[in-house]
Amino acid sequence: MRDDDIPKLSRELCNKMLADLENARRPVLEAIKCSLDNSRYNPKVGYLTPGDKRVRSELNVASVQKMSRSIFILEILLRNIETGAVNTKRELYYIAKGEVRHSPELRALDFTDQSESDSIIDFICEMMECYREDLNCYANDRGGQTYSNQLVVTELLSDGTKAVVDLSSLGTSPFQPKNRPQSLTLKAKKKIDFCLVVESEGTANTFVTNGFCKRNNSILLGAQGVPSNAVRGWCKLIQDQLKVPIYFFGDLDAYTLQNIFRTLKAGSAASLIRNSDFSAPDVRFLGVLPEDIKKYDLTDYPVKENDIQEARALKKASDALKNDPFFRDKKNKGLSRILEWLLKNKRRCEQQSFFTVDPRDPIMPEKIIVEKIKRGDFI
Amino acid sequence: MAKQKITSSSTAEYFSKNLQQVGFSSPTKAVLTTLKEAIDNSLDACEDEGILPELYIEVEKVGSGTIKNTDLVRIKVEDNGPGLNIEDVPKVFGEYLASSKFGRGRCSRGQQGIGISAATTWAQLTSAKGARVITKTKAMRQAVSCLVEVDVKNNKGNIKDKKSINWDRPHGVSVEFVLDGRIQLQGEGGLITYLTGTALVNPHLNLHYKLLDQPKVKVSRVSEKSPDVPLAVEPHPHTMKLGEFIAHSHLFGKSTISTFLKKGFSRISDSTFQVLVKNGLEKRLLNQAVDKTTDVQFKAVFSAIHKTELMAPSTRSVMIIGEETFSKSIRRLGEVDFFAVVTRKPTICDFKPVVVEVAIARLKMAIKVEGDDSPPSQVLRFANRVPLQFDKSACAMVKAIETVNWRAYGISQPKGSLPLGPYVIAVSLVSPFIKFKNASKETVDASDELVEEIRRTLIQAGQRLSRHIRKEHREADLEEKIRHIEQFCPILVDCLCRITKAPDKRKKAATEGLLKLLGRDVNTAKKHLDEAVKHHKEAHAKGKIQIIEKEEARDKKSEVESEEDLKPSHPENSEGIDESDEPKVKAKSVSGEKAKAKKKADSKTKEKVKEKTV
Repeated sequence: MRDDDIPKLSRELCNKMLADLENARRPVLEAIKCSLDNSRYNPKVGYLTPGDKRVRSELNVASVQKMSRSIFILEILLRNIETGAVNTKRELYYIAKGEVRHSPELRALDFTDQSESDSIIDFICEMMECYREDLNCYANDRGGQTYSNQLVVTELLSDGTKAVVDLSSLGTSPFQPKNRPQSLTLKAKKKIDFCLVVESEGTANTFVTNGFCKRNNSILLGAQGVPSNAVRGWCKLIQDQLKVPIYFFGDLDAYTLQNIFRTLKAGSAASLIRNSDFSAPDVRFLGVLPEDIKKYDLTDYPVKENDIQEARALKKASDALKNDPFFRDKKNKGLSRILEWLLKNKRRCEQQSFFTVDPRDPIMPEKIIVEKIKRGDFI
Repeated sequence: MAKQKITSSSTAEYFSKNLQQVGFSSPTKAVLTTLKEAIDNSLDACEDEGILPELYIEVEKVGSGTIKNTDLVRIKVEDNGPGLNIEDVPKVFGEYLASSKFGRGRCSRGQQGIGISAATTWAQLTSAKGARVITKTKAMRQAVSCLVEVDVKNNKGNIKDKKSINWDRPHGVSVEFVLDGRIQLQGEGGLITYLTGTALVNPHLNLHYKLLDQPKVKVSRVSEKSPDVPLAVEPHPHTMKLGEFIAHSHLFGKSTISTFLKKGFSRISDSTFQVLVKNGLEKRLLNQAVDKTTDVQFKAVFSAIHKTELMAPSTRSVMIIGEETFSKSIRRLGEVDFFAVVTRKPTICDFKPVVVEVAIARLKMAIKVEGDDSPPSQVLRFANRVPLQFDKSACAMVKAIETVNWRAYGISQPKGSLPLGPYVIAVSLVSPFIKFKNASKETVDASDELVEEIRRTLIQAGQRLSRHIRKEHREADLEEKIRHIEQFCPILVDCLCRITKAPDKRKKAATEGLLKLLGRDVNTAKKHLDEAVKHHKEAHAKGKIQIIEKEEARDKKSEVESEEDLKPSHPENSEGIDESDEPKVKAKSVSGEKAKAKKKADSKTKEKVKEKTV
């Protein structure tokens, strides 16, 4: 969506609401329902898309508070767009509180905690079918620290000038992608063979320090857990602009597969309206694969029954096999088989276990990864 | 196998080594069980003679106990019952299984004659002293004081230090134990919880108690009528096992089998014999003497009876508190906001006559904590009017409470758990044959039939309560809606006008349109409230729900109300669980406070909507 579309769309919406009120009709705010039960997966599209379900909020005594809050926050966001100011969700929460403090007649709108204002911002995004970044509301650029000796990034700055970053000139410092990948253009100085996304940023850092990027014409980036919008958009950009194969290397457990890898590859149910720009459907799961445990004699261990997070992930895995359109699709059978294996065997194996293969060879994990890529040992 | 000497033990010896089985499993339980057993005996004795019970209780610490982390505790219970003859004193307080109530088929508190002897044993084991008893019957000029000890080897009570004393009571028994224990006042195993519960289900009881150094408390009776003690009924043959059946026959010696069956059991008549013969029983067996009958023949008779369909056991033997008396009694729990009481008709569960009574009250002092964050409601369980205080999770009464969907009645409840909020749910189960899970009588066995019967009673009480709760919710809803209109309408219109840069004319038109819209919502809410008030008035007029007026509840002394103010619920309603089809009766009175609130809300809405629209 273009930047100038938002104010125009917002005014049209408000105008319609006002006209409805003048005629004593109930105004309706409508948004796409962002939930798993409204998620569709088409393997040809490659990411989760919204179904037909909509969330309708018609004005009545019960919804008048939500509606008033939505229009109140929308006014703040429009002001930001007009002036070019940007804010995080937390900052917007405090801005809203400040408005209330300075105008006592707005006291009824006051938010008691950030989750309330966050849900209003999300509702506005879903209603306008735009990203929060389109409303100048940015998240922290977490994760995605990238290393490469071949990649050159050109960033279009807000003042219209361009900044060119040659990643090979950064030494061991990484390049940090932004939450708004639309402003970046990528170019390869030399042919890039592959891009490796490592779940642990620490491990990605170890690989680089040990010379991974010197030995391989590659892009290496650390996801830092569940990928942020920055990481997701960045991977999509690498996939679309450089057309290089992308591999994900992470733990073998239900959490990694569902929360990290699925989000990177096909987006999430909560972000249905922006999965098209924030998912990289071509990314492949390099490991750790269940067969790697036996093949490389990796150290694994049983899932602890009393570990709430692990137990919850397993429960979620069993639900995902039944309800998640991504895992239910034939194309992703290999991934759903891993989930089934995890549920059956109740074991997990971490990415760092590749260091047990030859403890005296610091680049053994790199050797295994490259070998796996060459042999096509991925899903 | 090694050759070992086989010895036999007396009943007292067995229980002295297994006191945990009869409620002495911890020092805290020991104090509570001792008090409970003494009170049970006193109340049973008073009721048998039609005396309105007056109980004086003292519990105090008198030193350190001999067991680690215990105190030496003195427990004294004094009653105005008929008193005991001195020859009965060692049997009552010092002999196990010596009881006037065993297997009588009556709803008495005590049944086997174990509890009070176990208390004497515990006192003897821990403080080396038995029970100090003072007794006086009407016929005695002077009271007799003595110390009773249990002769554990021979299961006999021994009397020591017997002397005649002057006692200022016309008749009664005073028993005092000094034993090792720990005193807990509040909570599940607390003495105050027990005494409050006892007062609740014994409305005819005057209770005076002094616990530790707390001030003396008097709980006055709310009923001047001693409950009618129902007649004992003979057992129903279908509730017996073969061994019991043969043992029971020994009481009939030379009588014929037919006499034994007719006199020894309920629901067996001459017509039953015809059916028995038709079912293959040899006719001559019925005329044979009991003492000449072999075990094989007994088995044939027993099997024939079990194959024959008999009338269900009589329900005459059960004793109820009654909705009227229960209504008065529940208000002794504290400042009660409103409550509903239901007494079901006697019914048969697991071939045993049973009556379930339920009282649900909302306590005023704790109303603020109502909602999903509030603690679980307080459950008071009673079996034959004795509070049950331990191991509640496995009890039939708790299971029944958990299976009811309290949310339907406006009470918060996590799925499958006890409801939340400032409610007290009292469930009283009365039956001559209550199936306890253990000898210490702490938990009632949860059979499907019994749980269902309790559940139905709870549902009835819940339906009655819901009318009041629904009305409250509607009132709150209406107020909330009015508040929302006042607060948000101007903000919404202002914001929209600022974004669209609309002129004042549009702003005015939009404000008017908005108020018209929300006014419609308020009218709908008012309609719902009116309906809720109507239902509530009907329920109140029928006495299905009792609202305590503010001033009245504040004044604890006015616990005893006039009959008119506490019109009882209609017992005929206890038949089914759906009350919706009952005839409508015009309302008598509604709580003044709530009515005022409603009026206020009505006029406020009218004014505001009118003002804004104009």
